Parts: sequence; structure tokens; C-alpha cells
Amino acid sequence: MTATADLGWWGVLIAVAGGAVRVSTPYLFVSLGETLTEKSGRVNLGLEGTLVMGAMSGYGVAYLTGSPWLGVLVAGGAGALFGLVHGLVCSLSRVNDVAVGIALFLLGTGLAFHLGKPFIEPTAPRLPHLALGTWSEYPQIRSALEINGLFIVGAVLAPLLRWGLRSTRWGLVLRTVGDNADAARALGYSVERVRTAATMAGGFLAGVGGSFLSLYYPGTWNEGLSSGQGLMAVALVIFARWNPVACFWVSLLFGAATALGPALQSIGITANYYLYSAAPYALTLGLLIWSSSPRQALVGAPSELSISR
Amino acid sequence: MRAGAETAALTAAALLVTLLLFGGFVALHGVDPLAVYATLFVGAFGTRFSLEDTLTQAAPLMLTALCTAVPARAGLLVIGGEGALVVGGVATVLVGVALAGAPPALAVGAMCAAGAVAGGLWIAAAGALRHVRGVNETIATLLLNYTAIAVMHHLVTGPIRDFEQVLKPASWAVGERFMIGDIPGTSIHWGLAFGIAACLVTYALMRRTTFGFGVDILGGNVRAAQMVGLPIGTMILATCFVGGAAAGLAGAIEVVAVHGFASASLVVGYGYAGILVAFLARQNPLAVVLVAVLVGGISASGGLLQRRFGLPDAATVVLQGILFVAVLASHTLHGRFRVFPARAG
Amino acid sequence: MPSPPGPSVVRPRVAAPPAVEIRGMSKRFGALVALDDVSLALAPGTIHAVLGENGAGKSTLVKCVMGYHRPDSGGLVVDGRERTVTGPRQAHQLGFGMVYQHFTLVPSMTAAENLVLGRDDLPAVVDWGAERARIQAFQRRMPFALELDRPVSSLAAGEKQKLEILKQLFVGRRVLILDEPTSVLTPDEADRILGVMRDMAREALLTVVLITHKFREVLAFADEVTVLRAGRRVGGGPVGSLDRDTLVRLMMGGGSVPPPAARAAAPVREPVLEVDQLTAHNDRGVIAVRQLSLAVRAGEIVGVAGVSGNGQRELVETLAGQRAPEAGALRVAGAPYRRTRGEMRRHRISILTEEPLRNACVRTMSVAENLAFRTFDEPPMAVGGGLVSRRAVRAHGAALIARYRIRAAGSEARLETLSGGNVQRTVLARELSRSPAVLIVQNPCAGLDVAATAEIRGRIMEARNAGAAVLLLSEDLDELLELADRIVVMFEGRLVHETLREDADVHTIGRYMTSHP
Repeated sequence: MTATADLGWWGVLIAVAGGAVRVSTPYLFVSLGETLTEKSGRVNLGLEGTLVMGAMSGYGVAYLTGSPWLGVLVAGGAGALFGLVHGLVCSLSRVNDVAVGIALFLLGTGLAFHLGKPFIEPTAPRLPHLALGTWSEYPQIRSALEINGLFIVGAVLAPLLRWGLRSTRWGLVLRTVGDNADAARALGYSVERVRTAATMAGGFLAGVGGSFLSLYYPGTWNEGLSSGQGLMAVALVIFARWNPVACFWVSLLFGAATALGPALQSIGITANYYLYSAAPYALTLGLLIWSSSPRQALVGAPSELSISR
Repeated sequence: MRAGAETAALTAAALLVTLLLFGGFVALHGVDPLAVYATLFVGAFGTRFSLEDTLTQAAPLMLTALCTAVPARAGLLVIGGEGALVVGGVATVLVGVALAGAPPALAVGAMCAAGAVAGGLWIAAAGALRHVRGVNETIATLLLNYTAIAVMHHLVTGPIRDFEQVLKPASWAVGERFMIGDIPGTSIHWGLAFGIAACLVTYALMRRTTFGFGVDILGGNVRAAQMVGLPIGTMILATCFVGGAAAGLAGAIEVVAVHGFASASLVVGYGYAGILVAFLARQNPLAVVLVAVLVGGISASGGLLQRRFGLPDAATVVLQGILFVAVLASHTLHGRFRVFPARAG
Repeated sequence: MPSPPGPSVVRPRVAAPPAVEIRGMSKRFGALVALDDVSLALAPGTIHAVLGENGAGKSTLVKCVMGYHRPDSGGLVVDGRERTVTGPRQAHQLGFGMVYQHFTLVPSMTAAENLVLGRDDLPAVVDWGAERARIQAFQRRMPFALELDRPVSSLAAGEKQKLEILKQLFVGRRVLILDEPTSVLTPDEADRILGVMRDMAREALLTVVLITHKFREVLAFADEVTVLRAGRRVGGGPVGSLDRDTLVRLMMGGGSVPPPAARAAAPVREPVLEVDQLTAHNDRGVIAVRQLSLAVRAGEIVGVAGVSGNGQRELVETLAGQRAPEAGALRVAGAPYRRTRGEMRRHRISILTEEPLRNACVRTMSVAENLAFRTFDEPPMAVGGGLVSRRAVRAHGAALIARYRIRAAGSEARLETLSGGNVQRTVLARELSRSPAVLIVQNPCAGLDVAATAEIRGRIMEARNAGAAVLLLSEDLDELLELADRIVVMFEGRLVHETLREDADVHTIGRYMTSHP
């Protein structure tokens, strides 16, 4: 208790740093997934619904089976399923992928709340973390240095995806489909199949990101679990210029912004809590404004992407 | 006329597919789909009570649907109805409290106007960002939704909180004098009339005026609109303002006809359901009136579904979600059938 | 089957290209007969030209060969064996490769990535060290080299074309189909590339199918020619046995080329359209128009020559209000021109951009509505303070449809139901029916048949004779030589040469188009 008081504003900084790692994890997974989807030329605004479905299904499966990692896997599967629906519907001609995303956002959240009613009360097992701060006597430092398992997975995944996009066949094909669909067709690849596969992969990662929310932090399942993280990840991808490693760093930034409110609360600044909760949205909007320009297409955007034209 | 027939036919097909899928969904819960269909109908249109409930639910949907439908004609996909409604509701309360002693007719008029203007400016801001900075308006309005809700929570738990409300945090009340009543002979508030009127006026605006013709060109091909010298920026701002004003008006009506104050009760998904209504109505303000009644009916039957079958209230959201996806998928069939020749309009 | 390309990809140790015969190919799209029993033989190591107007079936023929379409009847015989091509992969396996009119390069990838992408046997993991070595070795044997590590989006059109050809050669294609390859090249660049193709064919390394409508190329480079008209083979044979007039007759089917429009003598008048030090960027933010100045007088046609991609599109977009200038001024009749609707109406400015569907129309609106884009907000279409009279719109539409002979199923038919030529006529009708005082035209006859081309050129000349100031940008030098009073050359965003029509020399102009004065 005296330790808490001693840290003061340092405590806020440490809490934000630790929070950044913690809170960035869902952003990281959703943004990596959406990077893949958008590199193929599709935008999936339904990831918020996928995120919530992932959270619900992961929690439910973890509760029923006792294994949080199995929950993560099933959450990914649920996300892939939503990605499949998105991909298939968008493959039909004249269908607007932005509208489909909104529809699936609504369906996903509704479905998750509907099926998740029985899971609100019970407690599911939590995902493990790596405790790197046991040397400290300050609970804040110990808590900040608890690196959760999914963050490590994500931190490895980001550079792996960047390498994959440059040096594997699927990476080159993905980029071709997203940048010049005619070229892909000329090479004999099915544009719709590649895009659907990319959307499924993106959905899988988004589902995994969702499972983090219910299985680690905040660590429960209820209807207020996510508020726009899936959407912010789409903006994040634009700001990160569709580069997986940049997504990693920007996710940390978003995590820090989101962790600001609770961090301030921890040293007793409780006023304006809701205004701090608006910080991530304001940040996102600011970054979006910064990244956009009326004269040019979004820099670095895959040319086939509808929101960049 | 033919185009209208095609739209109606494809919408009916989408509805049919939706009911089948939803029936399968509830069957997995061990509930008889046919019984559910019957309950949906009864809960929406079966009794006088349910019909009035449906129309009450439809009223805000007519307005929030315009928030998507009007900018859509200019080629923008705006989904900010939820946020504009909230902003409108808060503005209404602020004006209502400020005009506490004024004559009711004047005050209610001013409050509704304030709600509309607040909502209009909120969405027009997104339109401005789109025109000036090229920011994608779908993402921007979605972010503005969350922002509006967060700001509303902040105000309602702080600066404008009415501490006598113990149930949940709520703003100051506007007072009984400023509440608008029900349409005589029914238990439906006057908001329904506002909704229908707004749809008729926007229809006339978008389909009969030179402004609307210009917007059609803009929404059809922005490059063609530029080439004939149309004022793109003005049109974007105007359509966003009109759409936002409609949703803001919905917020105002929620305050003066339903609650009497602003609180989290403003955030019940009218904005999002409005998006579905707009797409189902193919962005046509006249069709919005009928479609809003349909979707309102689905919402209204939720309570009955819950009581009879124990289905969670999210079940109607699932139904609406499936319907939305089915309607979007059905767009691919437009123009494919020889029965409906490719006529304009 | 050819082995994967190694350093020896185009050295004589490899066998000659296959002998290919196309037999009786037919293809319909609904009611449209695109190909009707077309046969031709490709001798190995030759350049075979396929000549025809737009819509004659050239593209359909090669797309059937490449497996993009399944022909309704007929087939291929390769080296004596019958083959069916079910898709592009089979075509590639048989050694066929195609270079398209639109680029199939991926803009965000580098040249090296694009080359590797074209490989059929692309491994799951790409070893960039080995690939780069292979590409370097390949480049050493090629007559032209490209920078490997720049993103394709930063290459000029001519370089992209070369990269497309390199890509096909890199992956070992033996029968190369070139679809109008020189449309984006200057005459000199075209000669150079075709010369290389001819040399490689002579060495029995390639067979080339050259789709073109340019007689000069056919007569100078091809060994054999096949002429298509309305989907049928109407003639052909060794190039030595045919002359230009015969080819023209075969292509046109006996109809004569309409004579060029008559030019009225025009006194020198004041400049009406002035472009003053205009600077504009393209979509990627790169400068496209550099401090360009020009003036167009009433009653004259100023022709702007240039290879596409040198800023012409951005110049027209700026004049049309589709692009904001970075610097400089535009003036019409002495007053600043801000591209507002009022100014366009007052000064009677009309614009015919290229790609009318993309730039000037709304597909889902009716023909009558499209015809009303410039006039819907003034009487008689605007009534009662802001309402639109649908009846007036329809009447106006019907009148223009009749006057300009637009073929449509009524004025209320959707624009997208019209053929390309009729869409062009619709825009023409809308823009020219106002008796414009300023007319800006870009590539008006792209993709049109000879009759429609003559008609449109006639109307442009009419406008000029009636006193309009006409700015005509075209990639077709013949068109400029026929129509323009004065010709300027645009290169890399600047005007680099000016000449009167009487003094114009094609070779000089061609050199300025590539800035080798």
C-alpha cells in the first residue's frame, strides 16, 4: 500500500506500459487478420461481430472443456466461419463488401449475445501468462510485466506474416489478387477463392483476438465486452499501411491509449472516466484523418480495395 | 413500376430465405419453427396491441433509416444513425431544460429542431471529413457512434445528471409539460407522424427536385458530377446533414415522447436497425415507411418470443442480421431475370 | 513440355517453337457472333499479324486460344496433335503467352517480383537469392534491360510494356500473342520492340501473333497476315503478296473510307481558352502536368500529341473539374475559370473525355436523364422553383436520340444497355448539342469503327467551323494531322514542340514525343 503511493505518476506510466501489452493483444490479432483480408482486396468491417463471437465461443468452450487454449482454437474457428460467409456473399457480383461487413457485424453481435446468455454467470479458466516481474515488490510492476501467451504468439506472427507476404507463393498471389485482379486471373488464379480464403484467415485471427478478451483481460463474458475494437483495427491497418510489423507497433499504441483511463483511475483520478474511454476512438479518427488525403488514393493501399478508391 | 416490382419480388425472396434459416436456427434450440413463425406474426400484427407496438417501434426506424438512405443516394455509406440519435437526444434535453418556462408548443418545436440540427451537424462533420480529407465515411460515422455514446455517458453521469433518478444514471428531465402525447384513439405517440412526414418530404426532395437530380448524378458517378460542374462538397454536406437531422429528430422524439430524459436508454440499436431498413428499402424513402413497419414488427415480437419460447431477446437481432445478409446477397440477382427489363429508376 | 527457364532460356539449344493451327473456331456471346469458323496456321518462327477493326473478333480469337473463353466449336492442333485448352494454365503449358492491352502487372510489386510471379512452377517458398541470379542472367541476354527493384507503379507505360514482354520470355513462352502492343509506344519504340521480336522469330526462338490495326506495322514486320471482319476470316496470306489498299479493302469490306470533313477558312481570333503555368499531380501525388501554358483561339483546333501517360489525362481532368490544380491559372474569355457549373453554362464549355462510361455518365440512369446532365436545373426542365419536369427531360431526350441517331430501346432505357458506340454518341449529343464555344476532346474515337470515327471527326470539325475553340488531345497522330490547325507535343507534363498542320513532320513529332529532339 505504501508501495503504491510511492510510485505515483511512475505508476501511471508503468500501468500504461503494462496495459499497452495487455490491451494491444486483441488489436494485434484483429489487425493482422484484417491486413491479410485487405491485402487480397476485401475490407471486412464485420470484424467487430467476429471478435464478439470469438469471445463468446472461446469462453463457452473453455468453460465447458476446462481448456482455455481449446477455447482459443474454437474461437478462431468461429471467426473463420464468419469470414467464410463474408467471402462467399461478397463473391456474388454487385455485392458491396462494406455493407456485408456491417450486416455481419450486427449478426455476429446478435448471435453472440443470443448464444452466450448461459455463459454470463459461470467462470472459465484463464489463459496463462509469463510472469517476468516476480523480482519486484511493487504489484504494479509485477502486473505490468505479466506477458500473456497470446501476445507472444502475436509478436512472432507479425514478422512471420511480413516475411510470408514477400517470400512465399501464397503471399505473392495474395498481393496480386489485391492489387490487380486481372493480373491474377491472367495467371490462372481464382480471385474469389483467394479473397475468401484471406477473409477466413482474417476471421480466424479476429476470433482469436476476441477470445483474448474473455479469457484473459478483462477475463469475463458479458455484453459490454467489446466496444469497437474490431472497427478500430480496420483503421489501424490503414494507418499501419498494411504492414504486419507496423500493425504490431500501432497496436501497442492503441493499447496504451485504451489503458490510459484505467491507469489514471488507479492513482485516484476517477473523474471523466467516460471521456477517457472516448480516447481510443478520438485517436483512431485522428490517425484516419492523418492517413487520408482527398487528392490521392490511400498511400500503399492495395489497388483493388474498395475503400481506397 | 417494373423496377419496383423487381425490388419487391427479390425482397420477398430474401425474407423467405431468412425465415427458413431462422426456423432452422430455432429448431436447433428445440423449438418448433412453425410455432415461431406464427408467434412472429401475432407479435407483430396479430392483435391491436401488437400492431400499436409495431408502429411505435417503426417510428424511430423510419427516421434512422433516412440517416443511411439519404447519403446513400450521394454515394456515401453512412452508418452513424445510432450516434446522431444520441446526440439529438442530449441536445433536446439541454434545450428543453433551458426553455423551462416557455410555452409547450414553442419549446417542443425548439427541442425537436435542436435535436435535428445536432444530429445533422454530427453526420455533416463526417461528410466534411470525407470531402476535405478523403476519410472513409463508414468508418468515421461508426467511430462517431462510439464517441457520441461515450460523451453521452459522461454527461449523463456527471454534468447534467439528475440525482433523483435512482434506477440508472439519467439526465435532467424535460418535464411533463414538454412531453408530446399519443395519437388520439391509439397508444402510439406522435413520433410516428413525424417519421412518416420525414420520409415523404425526403422522397419529394430526392426524387422530384433539381437538388435530388444532382445528388443522383453524384451518387451514380462522382466523375460525371464533377464534369458537369455540380457542387460536390455542398451536396455531400447537405445529404449528410439531412440524414443526420432525421436521426437526431428520432433522438428528440425518444426524449419528448418516450422517456422524458436522456440516458443509456437512448442506445437500443435503432440506429443499426435503421441501416437494415435502408438497405431493405433500397435507399428509397417511400419504401422506408413500409420496411420500417416490417422490421419494427420483428422487434415488437421479441417480447412474445421470449415469453413463449424462452428465446433470449437477442433472437430478433439474429433474425434481423440474417435478413440483412440475405438482402445484400439478393442484390446480385437484380437485373438477372428477363421478366424485369432494365429500365431506369 | 519446355523445361523451366534457366540461363539458357532463349539460346538455340532449345527446340523450335511448336507449329500451331487454329481450326474452325467459333464463339457466340448470347446473340452476338464474335467468331465464325476462323482458321489460321502459325508457322514456327514467324510473325503472324491479325488485322481487323475493333469488334472484328481479334481479341475473342486469342482469348479462346489462351483459354479465357471456351470456343463453341473448333480447336487447336499443336505440333500435329489435337489439344483442348480449358484454361490459362493449359495454354501456358503448351507454351502460349499473351501480352495484353491493359497491363497485368502488379503495381505495388517490383519488376523482379512481377517476373517471378509469372512462373508456372512458383515454389511455395521463394529463394530470392537464386531468383535474382536467374533474372540477372536472363537480362544479360535481352536487348533491353529494366530496373528490377522499382515498384511497377513508378514505371512509364513504355517500360511496363517491355516488362510484360520480358515476363513472357522469362517463363519460356514460345508462342507470344501481342494485343496492340504499340498503342502506348512512340513510333520509334514500337519499331525497336517489333524489330527485336522479328529477330527472335528469325532465330526460331519465338512465334509471334501480332494483333493490330496499324498497316505500317503489318507491312514492315509481319511475315503473314490474317484479316478478320465481323468474326470471319475474309482474307490473308504472305505479307509480300498483299498491299495496303487490298488490306484496307479486306478490313473494311468494300465500304470506302469517308472523306475527311471540310475545313472552313477561319480568321485569326482572340484566345478563348487559356492555360497559364498549370501544375497538377496524378493520383499517386506525383507531378504530371508541369507549368504548362497554352492558348486556344476561337475557330481553331489545337491538337496535343503525345504517348499516353505524359500528363494528358491529368490535364483534361483539371480542365473538366475532376482534379484540382496545384498551381497555375485557367481562363476562359479572359475571366478566371474555376470549373463551376455556372461558368460552364455561361461560356458554353463542353467536354468529351475518354472512357465516357467512366467519366461522363451514370450507367443506371436513363438515356434521357444522361442527356439532361447539363440542363436539368434550367427551364424547361426545371420548373416551379426547383422541381424537375420529367416530361421535359423525356422530350429533350427523345429529340436528341433522333437527331444524333442513338440506338436505344427508348429514352427511358438504362444507359448500361447501350453499346459502347451509342454511349459515345449519347455523350456527344449532350455535349455538342449546346453549340459549344469551348470544346475539349480527348481520344474521341478510341475503340470505334471507321464509320463512327468519321462521324465524330466530322462533328468536331463542324464545331470548329462554327467558331468553337477546340482542344483535341489524341494518341492517334493521323487523327491530329487530319483535324488540327496547330499541333503541340506533350511530353512528361510539358509542351515541347509546336507546329502548324501544314509544316508538321511525323518523324520530328515522334522524336519530341520521346524527347529526343
